[in-house]
Amino acid sequence: MTPSLPDILIGQCAALAMPLPPEAGGDYAAGRLGILIMLAALAAQEAERGVAARVWENQALRALFAKAAQTYDGELGGRLAAAGAGVADDLSWSALDGANADLRRLLIALHEAAEDRRDQALDREILAFYRRMAHERRLELPTMMGG
Amino acid sequence: MTLAERLAAYLTRTSGEPIAVENLARISGGASRETYRFDAVTGGARQGRILRRDPPGSLIETDRRLEFLAIRSFAGKGVAAPEALVLEEEGAELERPFFIMGRVEGGAAASPFDPDPYGVHADAIGERFFGILGTIAAQPLDGLPILEAAARPAPEDCWRRELDYWSGVIEADEQHPQPIVRAAIRRLKRDPPPPSARVAVIHGDYRSGNFLHDGAGAILAVLDWEMAHLGDPLEDLAWAMDPLWSPPGGGRISGMVTRDEALTIWGRASGMAIDPAALAWWSLFASVKAQAIWTSSAKAWRDGGFTEPILALSGW
Repeated sequence: MTPSLPDILIGQCAALAMPLPPEAGGDYAAGRLGILIMLAALAAQEAERGVAARVWENQALRALFAKAAQTYDGELGGRLAAAGAGVADDLSWSALDGANADLRRLLIALHEAAEDRRDQALDREILAFYRRMAHERRLELPTMMGG
Repeated sequence: MTLAERLAAYLTRTSGEPIAVENLARISGGASRETYRFDAVTGGARQGRILRRDPPGSLIETDRRLEFLAIRSFAGKGVAAPEALVLEEEGAELERPFFIMGRVEGGAAASPFDPDPYGVHADAIGERFFGILGTIAAQPLDGLPILEAAARPAPEDCWRRELDYWSGVIEADEQHPQPIVRAAIRRLKRDPPPPSARVAVIHGDYRSGNFLHDGAGAILAVLDWEMAHLGDPLEDLAWAMDPLWSPPGGGRISGMVTRDEALTIWGRASGMAIDPAALAWWSLFASVKAQAIWTSSAKAWRDGGFTEPILALSGW
């Protein structure tokens, strides 16, 4: 989940460009090529769904924070209100991931606060959000290796 | 000099007799160490060997010694541990630390992508797999070589030590915030398990794919002891039963036996009763540990210049 698609593609180039020593041929080289093929197949899924998943997650988090800002005050409430009012106008991978990192850090803080307050309604809402988040970010391993 | 020539020079120097290295070939698996097979030839005799060498820039020096001593701890104890032969912590002619094991012939490791890895021998493999794990849990610690390098936690500290270690790995190596695993860590801290019923050797990565089988129901060698330590045996059991290693929809742990059968086999071999709540805690912990390993793999991939694709696949 953490490497970005651009990182994965740069890594493909680096791995393919690197010469292997003589003792790393044969089965090892074949296995390594199989992994590169699998990464390419996963990269195709990410290219199709990755931007949409990030746009959805960032928008959903902003909506969650705007709502929570109505009941959580103080320093956390201020951060929630500011994040909830944010907008996304740069759809590059780096901008989306940068915004997502900030939003996720705030989500962690909000969930901790909900647990501390025993706010079960918000806890359940965040847990449901985690399930959706994992689903949107899923990568499905192709059945191309082994049996 | 080639790696084979350097290895031959090391073996010749340390054994005092000429040893040739033939058929040196890197093999897949074991992302944290470079693994090679080779033949050591001396006086007309040929012996199959495995070389496990630290990758460039490795910082996990204690793990190497622990792995070697853990394997040696189970020599002749019925758990299919390979033969641990040589530990070289300075690197010498190979420039990086390594150890050498006897090579087990005629076996294969199951692919994690195989939907039916053991076929008609699934029951036999499951009986042996969980039986070996129970035998490891039952092994008394006194006198084991692993005690030279492994800390022995108090029963009430096993969970905290492991959780602190792996949550620390996530904290140190995380590139992008992961709220789900953070929530899991908090839950584990809020609701810890009871003290371990027994402190035993933990293999640390005991699962399908980390052993060699003969294709006819026998386990020939248990591999990848690099995360071995002392702790609560339920840690290994929960890790071995993690859904991550099981083909989807089959209802059998790692394509072997049902969950109830696995618990029965393990309980019989270990002599331990299984606390369901404690096992549930260690099952959630297994997910945290897996996430930590993947996070660490992603960092190693970036730090290594993106050249080891297995680390990218693990970390993605």
